[in-house]
Amino acid sequence: MLQPFKRYVEIGRVAFVTYGKEYGRLVVIVDVIDQNRALVDSPEMVRGQINFKRLSLTDIKIDIPRVPKKKTLIDAMETADVKNKWENSSWGRKLIVQKRRASLNDFDRFKVMLAKIKRGGAIRQELAKLKKADVA
Amino acid sequence: MKTILSSQTMDIPEGVTVKVNAKIVEVEGPRGKLTRDFKHLNLDFELIEGGKKLKVDAWFGSRKTTAAIRTSISHVQNLITGVTKGYRYKMRLVYAHFPINASITNSNACIEIRNFLGEKKVRKVDMLEGVQIFRSEKVKDELVLDGNDVELVSRSAALINQKCHVKNKDIRKFLDGIYVSEKGTVNEEA
Repeated sequence: MLQPFKRYVEIGRVAFVTYGKEYGRLVVIVDVIDQNRALVDSPEMVRGQINFKRLSLTDIKIDIPRVPKKKTLIDAMETADVKNKWENSSWGRKLIVQKRRASLNDFDRFKVMLAKIKRGGAIRQELAKLKKADVA
Repeated sequence: MKTILSSQTMDIPEGVTVKVNAKIVEVEGPRGKLTRDFKHLNLDFELIEGGKKLKVDAWFGSRKTTAAIRTSISHVQNLITGVTKGYRYKMRLVYAHFPINASITNSNACIEIRNFLGEKKVRKVDMLEGVQIFRSEKVKDELVLDGNDVELVSRSAALINQKCHVKNKDIRKFLDGIYVSEKGTVNEEA
């Protein structure tokens, strides 16, 4: 079966906001307004409309009726375990690392530099050992 | 406005195998094999139901892309009839005074036209690949072009027609020429 698209815009699709005031938030599509906009909701925000161009769809989908009450939405997100699935996915993990790197202070960056040098040194030592064994 | 998804499905009859890979469609049937390349289109071609149907999708298409869905299906249908029934175009030699002398040479692949409007010039037309031409037996002044690919057969007929245009005369009066009289198939059953 030809599958040009794997993630569809549907009620219950979890999406990541990539532009605007809610940048970085995970939201759930609760209704589709028209061809360009969706009604979007999340446990910590007021339900509102957003353009699809400001969203990136994720693999996660939850089971909700159209425009659920806040309580139903929160319960559905708990049963589907969205938070853990997101934090364990490669996309979610990358975001956590990016956030940590952006929040480093100068001393932390110094410590990172030392750690990188130490790691590079250990790799080069192992490589030299392997090269010597190969030549022999 | 972009239409999210527009698609169309067509049935593939028995006795014909269709293969589609990377927008190149290959149709094989009793009369032979035909290929057509749709790489200039932004469509998804897919065989469903184990080769019995062909589905064509256009995602987020403008009006023109959506229009291209049905034309690509028509092109594939032409390939299928070409490979099962074949195409037969009949042309008549029309003249008022000077009989058009048409001789078929080169094992039914080339036609030479003499004495068109009394001119000394000999017109030679090579048929395109896979197209056979012969003079019809029972009908006077008729040419028959046979082939599998409708594009090649009709283009060969057009080449013959264009070689016999009348120049510098009132074409409403000088009606000589070789005209396509019938567009049909080789096998009439089914």
